[in-house]
Amino acid sequence: MEQSRKKFLKNFLIGASTVPLILEACKKDTVADTTTTTTTTTGTGTSSGSCTVSLTETAGPFPTITPSSLVRSDIRLDRTGVACTINITIKNTSNSCAVLAGAIVDIWHCDKDGYYSEYGGTGMQTVNYTAVHFLRGRQTTDANGLVSFTSIFPGWYSGRATHIHVHVYNAAGTSLMITQIAFPESSSSAVVTVNASTANGYTKGMTGYTYNASDNVFSDDTSGTEIAAVSGSIAAGYTVAQTIYVKA
Amino acid sequence: MTKKIIRLCYRKIIDAASEQVWDKYVFESSYTEFLMQAQLYNQEKKFTSYSELLLHVPNAEKLPFLVSAAIVGYVQQLGDKIPDITDTLGRQFLSFKNYRFEIIQSDIKKKPLHRVAINFFSEPLVWHETIGNNLLLSPSGEKETADGTLTYILPLQPFLSIYSIKETEA
Repeated sequence: MEQSRKKFLKNFLIGASTVPLILEACKKDTVADTTTTTTTTTGTGTSSGSCTVSLTETAGPFPTITPSSLVRSDIRLDRTGVACTINITIKNTSNSCAVLAGAIVDIWHCDKDGYYSEYGGTGMQTVNYTAVHFLRGRQTTDANGLVSFTSIFPGWYSGRATHIHVHVYNAAGTSLMITQIAFPESSSSAVVTVNASTANGYTKGMTGYTYNASDNVFSDDTSGTEIAAVSGSIAAGYTVAQTIYVKA
Repeated sequence: MTKKIIRLCYRKIIDAASEQVWDKYVFESSYTEFLMQAQLYNQEKKFTSYSELLLHVPNAEKLPFLVSAAIVGYVQQLGDKIPDITDTLGRQFLSFKNYRFEIIQSDIKKKPLHRVAINFFSEPLVWHETIGNNLLLSPSGEKETADGTLTYILPLQPFLSIYSIKETEA
């Protein structure tokens, strides 16, 4: 089992790598990790097998527990675009659709150009690694079952209509619902208006856009329950409001 | 006369046996985040281990990126100094701005199997020479003093490697 796991990891890493240099330089996992990991992490500044000097400097302030960097309501980081507030209310079908407080809600969506935050996978985090997880956030619903995020109006990418991903968990972190929010798309809609706004960096318009009726996720939603209510303007920013029903 | 400019990589492994407080926080936070994020790739609840997800579920290779959000705060708490690696005078002297988070192994039912790595990439260093099993280094770009270039002696050790090298005109 151990042998095949090592082989699998070895093959996977080499096969999947887009920047093989990094993996080659740091490749010790399949040989060393099962035998020497414990010694490299015990004590301070010592390494296994060699006689190196212990860390002898003033100890810094004790590390403090910090929540996931996803826990934030302003998810823009370094992304620009038309301002957009996203308000999601969670209701519990196990409780006569009363609002659900204390639920964890993750959202993520693409930037104005249709890109998600996700570095290559084998590359380094960039220098400004606080901006790497752009347009991803986590909030906990309040007494009104509401979470609110400050973001930019999503762009779109080939093959999909404009959408926001949502993952609702209960307070213990158990997944309750993974879903997506769709947008109205009439000629007077925010989607059309924002995508025409080259002044705000949206350069694609609606050329090549996949509308909800053709979208592989939303096309079966004939009653439009997945479509959010969108209000506002480019100047004032938009508000996207949606209620999501979960079984908690 | 050329100079060799290198960047080092220190691969810090964190698992259930880690004893330092910082390591334990990273272990706990990354495992909790793994449990949450893995659900996205395990909706039918067929799998329990990370390696199964990688093998069977498209896009599961995004999990290290998604889970890394949980440890950004801890990496920031290091300041910009690579942990654990000291010169022969006992000082942490290597700076980093780039890192890469990996999930080596994990399991939604067996927390003791959770093992992650943070690869720290040092800022560029001038590699003057090697003395025995030690590198004689200076941070790249430092000005010379009246005594010449100030240097550090760094022992070669497991989990420390040279990530890149380039030659420049001195």
